[in-house]
Amino acid sequence: MGEITSTEHTAEKVGHVGKHYVGDTTTILGRTIPLPVYTVVYIILGVVTVLEVALAEVFPRGGLTIPLMLLLSLSKAALVVWFYMHLNTDSRIFAVTLLIPVVMVSIATLFLMIVPVGY
Amino acid sequence: MSEASVQQAEHHAAEGHHHNPAARAENLKFATWLYLASEVVIFSVLIATYVVFRLHSPEVVEHFHEGLNEWPGIWLVSINTFILLSSSWAMVMGLRQIQLGNRQGLIRWISLTALMGTLFVLFQYVEYSELSHKGITLYYNADGTFTDFGMRFYAPTAFHGAHVIVGILWALFVVFNARRGGYSADNYAGVEVFGLYWHFVDVVWIVLFTLIYLI
Repeated sequence: MGEITSTEHTAEKVGHVGKHYVGDTTTILGRTIPLPVYTVVYIILGVVTVLEVALAEVFPRGGLTIPLMLLLSLSKAALVVWFYMHLNTDSRIFAVTLLIPVVMVSIATLFLMIVPVGY
Repeated sequence: MSEASVQQAEHHAAEGHHHNPAARAENLKFATWLYLASEVVIFSVLIATYVVFRLHSPEVVEHFHEGLNEWPGIWLVSINTFILLSSSWAMVMGLRQIQLGNRQGLIRWISLTALMGTLFVLFQYVEYSELSHKGITLYYNADGTFTDFGMRFYAPTAFHGAHVIVGILWALFVVFNARRGGYSADNYAGVEVFGLYWHFVDVVWIVLFTLIYLI
């Protein structure tokens, strides 16, 4: 996700606020798009959601369908947390605060999933 | 150093900290992240309960998904998902506007956020009505098909819906505060903290949508 950045030069022109870039262009893999980074992320979220629904409802299900849908869902969640909740620029302690419970409950959930029925 | 001078130094330090907007904003955000961490645990319990049920009773969930194939079914939920994603975008665009010093822009975007949150709740009500007609209720249903499913479905989705309602009220408070001149390009911590909450609610829905409706 580090490849998506708001163009710093433009951000300075329209207002570089604190640690957040509020520029009106976005650079992805070296290409500049005339949209704010928030809008680019929104478009990506929309496209991935369409892809998820298509995988679930249109295409026949295979062995990789569920892992792929989980991966897409987690990618969407990561995009929101990274760009909209500003974990990409804010203090690392915020990320740690989020990650500790996420890791703990993930381990607990995985444990529950392997417990046999009726045990 | 005497006790009195220590107390005086602490008082000055506390006062200086209080009047430092950047430090106050960081503290507010940290407090919000701690609160969201507790929310992660609560939602995870509800999600884990559903996931374990999904693993042990796949036929019930498949039956539920078959029911979603009838109009409006999955399409209503998908539209609702887009509405919530759009509301998150509107929220962050509102924050961008106040960071650029445009208070009217903030008011417009956050009002749009509140409007889309309201639409989400209304569509969720429509969805619940449809599901209850299909026998998916909180309690034991006549043919026993969805016994045990109802609570595992409604608990996470309705708890999430309750969070959206709280978010709408919070958005309206932000709009009210903005109209009174409460935020500026140098003072927008209140908007940022609301944004953290709203985006968290969006993230929870992203996970619920995939786990409950698609998989």
